[in-house]
Amino acid sequence: MTQVPSPELKLEIKKMIMETLNITDINPENVDDEKPLFGSDNALTLDSVDAIEIIMAIQRNYGIRIADQSMARYVIRSINSIAEFIMTEREKNKL
Amino acid sequence: MSTIDYKHKMAAHCESGAVTSLLNNAGLEITEPLVFGISSGIFFGYFHKMRSFTFPTFIVRNRPGSIRSNLSKRLGIKFYTEQFRTPDEGMRRLDELLEKNIPVAVQVDFFYMDYLPEWERVHINVHFIVVVGKSGSKYIISDSYFPNLVELESTSLRKARFVGGNMSPKGFLFYPEFIPKEPDFKKAILKGAKKTCFNMLKIPMPFIGIKGIRMFAKKIPEWPSFARDIEHLSHEIMKINILLEDQGTGGAGFRFMYSSFLQQGSIILNKPDWGELSKEMMEIGDGWREISLFASRIGKNRELGPERLKELGTMLYGRAEVEERFFRRLKNSLN
Repeated sequence: MTQVPSPELKLEIKKMIMETLNITDINPENVDDEKPLFGSDNALTLDSVDAIEIIMAIQRNYGIRIADQSMARYVIRSINSIAEFIMTEREKNKL
Repeated sequence: MSTIDYKHKMAAHCESGAVTSLLNNAGLEITEPLVFGISSGIFFGYFHKMRSFTFPTFIVRNRPGSIRSNLSKRLGIKFYTEQFRTPDEGMRRLDELLEKNIPVAVQVDFFYMDYLPEWERVHINVHFIVVVGKSGSKYIISDSYFPNLVELESTSLRKARFVGGNMSPKGFLFYPEFIPKEPDFKKAILKGAKKTCFNMLKIPMPFIGIKGIRMFAKKIPEWPSFARDIEHLSHEIMKINILLEDQGTGGAGFRFMYSSFLQQGSIILNKPDWGELSKEMMEIGDGWREISLFASRIGKNRELGPERLKELGTMLYGRAEVEERFFRRLKNSLN
């Protein structure tokens, strides 16, 4: 069974997103884990163009390629969904 | 009316996903990458000046509908297909088929799939979903872009199936009517790969295949002459990212799927060299993603001077080189 992502991993993801997208005016610790990253009510005012930046940052930082675009839409919904995806992929690679 | 017992699965692309899902539910074991590869889904076309487009554009996959038709030819599967003159007729036929417990794929405008978040929905009238039931005024939908079965109001489905515009669906629906007991996968995989090599290397038109990628590379510095202003140009450059990454499955996504096709093909055909080609195709997909990223960055930052566009062109020339080498090797592996 996949482990629950740690708060450290979630913070690491938030910092990765901030750094990748050059967001300097928000404290990563204040970003809600569950709030959507995209859309009108999003935590970081991201748009669809930022999605590719995040997908590639995940590949660079965690060595995980999200090849499937419809899967990518779900992975990058929120900090929680990214963290869960990374945990699941790490588990798979262990097997 | 009740829901048909239907196994829903997410997929990388709507058309290959809908076809795979219908076939799997009808008892044929086939994966989405095999459907995509056998039907020669990979393609490239660049359109610099065309009457139907006000701005240059490009495509990274074959024509909508050809995944189904090519697969049908190569595996001997027969699909029932129909279009309608009026929405009433089209909705009535759908209900009749559902009454008979037949899951039906329909072509729709993505914008009306209101179970998806609003920011994701754009007007693309060549999205494919499978309708698997009806409950009151709602249809039960299997959409490969959504993790589970969902409901869609009849009014939304009706609008989505009968929108106008280029490639308008006219209520188009299809479902498998006949599936051979033992389709010849080996022959179909080889035929699919052969046709893909032909499409990418041999079509004698300067805007198709590898020649098309080179034309795109050469012509992109001319894009400012089509734009009204910098905002318009920036929008069009960022659209490269949308076409490569977001709409449908994207240039990279299709390449990743083709990589899986080669991987599975290498096992079925016992061709270890396809395993190597599969890894190479994965890297080719990454290269398209780099282009997508570069285009979105320069578009967003309005860095659209001649040097930047030339740089983008150079990246595209690079893709043409590696894809040409790749498809020549694939072609040689078929001899």
